[in-house]
Amino acid sequence: MGSRVLTITSGKGGVGKTTSTANLGTALAMQGKKVAVVDSDIGLRNLDAVLGLENRIVYDLVDVVEGQCRLRQALIKDKRLPELYLLPAAQTRDKNAINSIQMQELCQQLRQDFDFVLIDSPAGIEQGFRNAIVGADEIIIVANPEMASVRDSDRIIGLVEAAGKPEPRLVLNRLRPEMVKRGDMMEVADVIEVLGIDLLGVVPDDDMIIVAINKGEPIVYDKRSRAGRAFINAAQRIIGEEVPLDELVEAPTLLERLRRLVGFGPAMTEKRVRS
Amino acid sequence: MGVFQFITGRKKPTPGEVAKERLKVVLSHDRIKVNPELLEQIKADLLTVISRRLEVDEQHVQVQMAREDHWDKLHADVPIKRQKISFEWDPPAHTPVADVLQNNKLRVDVERIEEE
Repeated sequence: MGSRVLTITSGKGGVGKTTSTANLGTALAMQGKKVAVVDSDIGLRNLDAVLGLENRIVYDLVDVVEGQCRLRQALIKDKRLPELYLLPAAQTRDKNAINSIQMQELCQQLRQDFDFVLIDSPAGIEQGFRNAIVGADEIIIVANPEMASVRDSDRIIGLVEAAGKPEPRLVLNRLRPEMVKRGDMMEVADVIEVLGIDLLGVVPDDDMIIVAINKGEPIVYDKRSRAGRAFINAAQRIIGEEVPLDELVEAPTLLERLRRLVGFGPAMTEKRVRS
Repeated sequence: MGVFQFITGRKKPTPGEVAKERLKVVLSHDRIKVNPELLEQIKADLLTVISRRLEVDEQHVQVQMAREDHWDKLHADVPIKRQKISFEWDPPAHTPVADVLQNNKLRVDVERIEEE
């Protein structure tokens, strides 16, 4: 199978696109794939910080597109995984600094060196979003189980369809199992029914994600984190493995929380939710 | 059992269920780009056409978008005023049965639609 270009997008801002891109990219690289993560959020660069690579940037995406440097020079090698590379966004330019044709050419170039190219899209439905999806084979929509995010996701599904791309898949992020249990939050099945697309993964809300971003260390490295486990599962589904959807549904039990507090004992993600 | 449930004998929908229902409505509008003005126009058009043949209870006509079984649907509730009405109708010449009919007249009886 050839290389695949996947764009992670959402419409609404702040739902976890960058976190998802960083973690899916890292998880794919952990599986031995050669991965490039591309920050296409020009002017609002963040993927570098989530990956802890913000101090290593010399050239960026716009430099490559404008021919100021070669692609190889702009790609930043990850600290831990030798097969993971970041192409950072320009911070001093705006979304109109590049056009769709240039972006498509960039994707073609990246395909030659990588198994997976993951593009982190900016929020919104304007030029930046269009640039982000133009070269993609597949689209992943990140949504939170709340009205505004699901509504915006539906708009994105329509725009992706209009762009002639295959039906996107959904990563439902920040699910809070205890709220779902109380009936205060929509269930996974509700969101899927309303949007009518396939589910790639469900990521439970996890305070450790903030900690992981603070440290510049993706959550997938934290073996005890449910969110980390969920991203690894989603990455395995991207590769094509059949992974049962077991990453949530129940809030951690008191015992699990105690174990976590003490910091040892079996990882809480090993507990499977009986269905 | 909450107070609401005690009074109504029915369980109050949870915020999650409310969100789902609200989303279904808002998305069906977003998808078809139907705004309230357009719905009013459609309603007026329907009334014009139907009242040509039937006496419609215009006060209680309802036209709205809904999503059922993965389809976006236009629901029109058009109550008919009279208990039983009848009228003469000239079938169009190309209707096959037109030749069969005597004097080219067809009698149509329309029962009032019962409320569910």
